[in-house]
Amino acid sequence: METVLTLAGGFGALLDWTVLAFMIAGFLVGTFFGAMPGLTSVLAIALLLPITYTIDVIPALVMSASIFMAGMYSGSITATTINIPGAPSSMMTAIEGNRLMKQGKGANALGHAALGSMIGGSIGAILLMAFMPLAAEISLLIRTPGKFSLVLFALVVIIIVDKGAIAKGVVATLLGIMLATIGIDVLQPIPRFNFGTETLIEGIDLMPVVIGAFAVSEVLIQAQSWRSSFGIPDADAKDLGIRRRDFIPPLSEIRQIGLLTYVKSAIIGYGIGILPGAGGSMAAFVSYATARSSSKHPEEYGNGSREGIAAAESANNSMCGGAFVPMLMFGIPGDPTTAIVLGVLVINGLQPGPRLLENQADLLAPMFASLLISALVLIPLTLFLFGPWFVRIVSIPKGLLYSAIAVVALVGSYVATYSAFQMALALGFGILAYIMRRNNYSTVSMLLGFILGPDLEQYLRRSLSLNDGNPSVFLTSPDSLFFLAVTALFVYAILIRGGKRAA
Amino acid sequence: MDLKGRFTRGGIVFPLALIVVTTIYLAAAFDIRTQFSAAGDIGPQTIPVLTATLMYVALLVVLIQEIRNPPDGEDEENSGSLLRPALVVLATAGYIALFRPLGYSLSTLFFVAALFLVFEFETRRPVRFALYALAVTAVFYGLFALVFGVRLPTLTEGLF
Repeated sequence: METVLTLAGGFGALLDWTVLAFMIAGFLVGTFFGAMPGLTSVLAIALLLPITYTIDVIPALVMSASIFMAGMYSGSITATTINIPGAPSSMMTAIEGNRLMKQGKGANALGHAALGSMIGGSIGAILLMAFMPLAAEISLLIRTPGKFSLVLFALVVIIIVDKGAIAKGVVATLLGIMLATIGIDVLQPIPRFNFGTETLIEGIDLMPVVIGAFAVSEVLIQAQSWRSSFGIPDADAKDLGIRRRDFIPPLSEIRQIGLLTYVKSAIIGYGIGILPGAGGSMAAFVSYATARSSSKHPEEYGNGSREGIAAAESANNSMCGGAFVPMLMFGIPGDPTTAIVLGVLVINGLQPGPRLLENQADLLAPMFASLLISALVLIPLTLFLFGPWFVRIVSIPKGLLYSAIAVVALVGSYVATYSAFQMALALGFGILAYIMRRNNYSTVSMLLGFILGPDLEQYLRRSLSLNDGNPSVFLTSPDSLFFLAVTALFVYAILIRGGKRAA
Repeated sequence: MDLKGRFTRGGIVFPLALIVVTTIYLAAAFDIRTQFSAAGDIGPQTIPVLTATLMYVALLVVLIQEIRNPPDGEDEENSGSLLRPALVVLATAGYIALFRPLGYSLSTLFFVAALFLVFEFETRRPVRFALYALAVTAVFYGLFALVFGVRLPTLTEGLF
């Protein structure tokens, strides 16, 4: 009953006009960043991070959630209309949606993408809310050795999901851990790696790492492969002949897709969201492949399958709800977006974990409500209001866009501590991330190594300290053993079995 | 791509640079002194030493991979000249250096103008160029200073 009241309070918080304005603004910003090829919702939330120093935690979290949901959905817009996925998670939608577009059914494809996103996003948000009390109880059962093994599991999975570049993934993750060790030690009051300077004693703040890795590096990447526009003729961007009434998918088509496809895809997406490092692209791909294998019309796949669009979009939006689970339960973000949301929590003095879920759920409830309202109301509303003009987003001059992003990123870095040093750090990390991206090192792995490194060290040292230095505690503690077994299972499934299949 | 090409592109230079960084890091890790230690404790230098050791192994694997399996040509992210990114870095470094002395308005105006030049945005239409640069500066002043109440540096603050 208490949980229901807390969640109801979350919806009530959205009635405050300031919070509502942040949710709507976040959704529009997320839609813009998600739809624009090259920009992502991660970048949008990264640019928002400094602003959270100046606003309350509730509007900041509400805004982050609506950006996340909008960014997952809006990648389908340019994927369908011009065959350029606005976000990597819309790759499968591009295959089917653009075929429908070429058949003159673009509005219908956008309608199905929005409906899938709406249903999937809503189911993901509801599952998040429904299981949060249970998640809080489960997280209480995990002791220090178990937490170490869980963090290790997260880091291992993040590295091995990119099978083609495991060594580079290890390098990027270790680089993040190395950066995180700069500053005061996690257990003793002694500075490490400050090289005699006072500025490094406090360590490196998350914000310049995030801004550098996602905003500054993006500007540099774009500068290198510079084209002043997205290469879409103005006429194509202006006149697609899309009418509002065509956005509403006919009931016969929805029946043909079937409620089961939506629900199954949403559950797959939610489950994949819980896994570290998996993200929206994997959710969309797995769900699309599952829907295809059980489809009554597999011949339609690749030729404009509405079922394929529904499966992919339901899954990637449902993933948003799942991605919050490990972050809120253990402070383990599964993807860069929730990593930045974790930053928002930490900036506001909130530590994820069972205590946050139990004692300060009133701060989180508006964020959950924002996820649900964004999926249920804002996705269809935005499509209906702005749908006919969506594709014009790509007509915005890139020179203007990236100059504006550079200004927001750098001034944003200054905002946190009113110091030009943070701006310099953001530039430094931007150059590092740019070099990494040029050489196919994952900046996401670096970020997650940076965030999870201190936890990994702290839990390892505490576990050993409590057990007289005996490492067998990780095998004798049931929760730790469970996570180590799951890690081994993932390594087997992804690397060994997956490798054999590929061969 | 030949070895020299990969070397200059960064495929080999970057891991080599990281080996140097890791060596400096490891040397600094050995300088960390524990304040107190009980039985079974692992000190504040253990994880950094372990991380550095793993880093050496991973970098070695990366280097072997880079030498044995050169990438098949350039992908989209890697195509294009390095001149523009270098100019963006230069403009950004200048912006950071001038941000406090010149204040937000002037330094941002110069920074935006520099980026417009790098990105060749409206360079043939000077009036539009100036108006857009002013507009970007004004819009983000409004966002940060007026909407979010951030105290941005001013020219007079930098001079006195």
